[in-house]
Amino acid sequence: MVTFLDVMEKALTGRPCSERDYTLKTFAVRLREIVKEYDIKYDSSSPVSSDDSLADDIFKAAFDFFVEVGAYCRDTERIIKFEESEIKEGLRTAPARVVLGEGKDARALIPRKPEDKTPPWCFLGAGGGPVSTEEVFVSLLEGYASIPEVNSITTPALTSVSGLRIRPKSPLEALGAIRNAVLAREATRRVGRPGLPLMNTLATAESATSLAIALHPKYGLRTTDGYMIAIMDPMIVDFDRLNKVCAVLSFDAPVGACFDPLMGGYSGGPEGTAVANVAHHFLAALAYQASWHLPFPLHIKHVCSSTPELLWIISTSGQAISRNTRLLSLNLNYTAAGPLTEMCLYETAASVMAAVVSGLSIEALGVATNKYEDRMTPMEPKFSAEVANAVTGIKRNDANEIVKGLLAKYMDRIADPPLGQKYQECFDIARGRPSDKYAELYNKVKKELDDMGVKFQH
Amino acid sequence: MPFSYSRCLVIELSEEEILGKLYQAVVTGDTDSVVATAKEAIEKGVDPVIAIEKGLSKGAKTIGDKFEKLEIFLPELLVAAEAMKAGLEILLARIPKDKTLRKGTVVCGTVKGDIHEIGKKIVAALLSANGFEVYDLGADVPTSKFIEEARKVGADIIGLSALMSSTLGAQKDVIDYLKAVGEREKYIVMVGGGPTTKEWADQIGADGYSATAPEAVKLASELVEKKRS
Repeated sequence: MVTFLDVMEKALTGRPCSERDYTLKTFAVRLREIVKEYDIKYDSSSPVSSDDSLADDIFKAAFDFFVEVGAYCRDTERIIKFEESEIKEGLRTAPARVVLGEGKDARALIPRKPEDKTPPWCFLGAGGGPVSTEEVFVSLLEGYASIPEVNSITTPALTSVSGLRIRPKSPLEALGAIRNAVLAREATRRVGRPGLPLMNTLATAESATSLAIALHPKYGLRTTDGYMIAIMDPMIVDFDRLNKVCAVLSFDAPVGACFDPLMGGYSGGPEGTAVANVAHHFLAALAYQASWHLPFPLHIKHVCSSTPELLWIISTSGQAISRNTRLLSLNLNYTAAGPLTEMCLYETAASVMAAVVSGLSIEALGVATNKYEDRMTPMEPKFSAEVANAVTGIKRNDANEIVKGLLAKYMDRIADPPLGQKYQECFDIARGRPSDKYAELYNKVKKELDDMGVKFQH
Repeated sequence: MPFSYSRCLVIELSEEEILGKLYQAVVTGDTDSVVATAKEAIEKGVDPVIAIEKGLSKGAKTIGDKFEKLEIFLPELLVAAEAMKAGLEILLARIPKDKTLRKGTVVCGTVKGDIHEIGKKIVAALLSANGFEVYDLGADVPTSKFIEEARKVGADIIGLSALMSSTLGAQKDVIDYLKAVGEREKYIVMVGGGPTTKEWADQIGADGYSATAPEAVKLASELVEKKRS
């Protein structure tokens, strides 16, 4: 079995190569070729695919691609390659069950299959979106922890500490990471769910140093939380990220690898991005020893996961993983539109449906491309979780028809989406509930989805 | 040399062919072909200004338009920008300094602590393709490095990219540093990247912000023109 030390040895002794040559001459060129060799073709009429053989071809293409191309280590400027046997063993021995959380909130994250009747893991919250103050951070967390379907929390990211804007790799970042941990735990306590796991720990810690500092037990983080570490597009790692892996493994906690192959970027179109998305899972399982995976492919222009191409990528690559491995994979979705808009709810419904019927669990979500301060509320992840549970077990063909209906409702606005309102504007923070206007819009969209065939549990 | 109608005709056709080859070489991102054809253009007496405008720039415009529509993807855009840059180096050396075709000089990079580069590379490629001289400093660039490089190359614009909300503050640091050393007015400062917004740009005193790469190119042209006028 490949160990973390093996990975370091490969990073130090692999073939020397510039990043330019790896990305443009090796990765992009070979990916284009392999898509042709396997005759993988995007089908715009099936944003949610039901084609098992296509999913299996994407899996095989990703496997061959990863064996041939390997990953890139930016610090050593070398290519990290794995033998075919190492990859097979890594996939065979990857965790098929991870228990997260404590007490009555402890749950097992398990793999799913396409059209599985097992409800998906609902990892809910802000996906690391920026918030302006600690008050907003705590209030949002309380809202997320109060969602009945929540299995784990994805926190926002603090942008300042006591009024000082956080600077990367600085003590301000470390202090921000500590506050992130302490405040998130406090918020879950306040709503009576102290055992809920935090799974994007720590959104505020971009550097390994800040992560390591905030891991001190007195700040409340646990080995039953999840620790998300990024792989850069396309299949690039560096020492800072590997240091984070080292810290989390030493802490005996589960590493979650996140990666966002951009559709239109180095991976090319939908076909290449689907293959690359699967190959990133292999890299995560081996180089990061990841216990769980967080793919979030995005559109290079619209920075969301709700276009037809992105839904196809989520669905086909999700099925490639769920049909052929035991990897624990949760798709994170981004919407183009913001809170208090119908479009935002349509978008998240489409992405969540594509993921759930394809055998994935979900992280929900990045609202309004996850870039605007305070432009998220507990309503969007709550809606995502309700949709996720409602579509559990339905046929992919049926999901495809519903998703096509949803796309018709928002695709004409994808390039210029409504940004809606900020948290403070559409949520009664003191009482922890949405404005009447948002509650009304929420129920209206639920009724529309019900009419389209999504049967909500409540 | 005595006048020869047939010779003129040969030169005219040859020029057209050369311009077509330059265009095609940029569109296909073939740097070797761009270099060879640019040298051929000089040997055959093609006006370098015309070679740039009707060969290289025309190809760059096609590539920019195709990328905007996602008919091509990032790798094709980047290799085309490399080819364009190689051709410009050869042809611009033949144009008198006072007749420069450059729209302006840009020093850009991803700010300190941030290792994300894709968005910045797209902007740099499109700026190059649109006639700017671009010095891309890469990622995780120290604050003072932007300023040192801008001084060295006589930049018009300093472009600062950040992808993480935790790294945005480093954009402000560059502007504050410029103010502290009394050079804020020397440069146009543009900011961009994932979490950057118009409000943030205004808050930190940047001169420009754009949400997309094509908008960044348009804004850079406008800001340079305004500064020069």
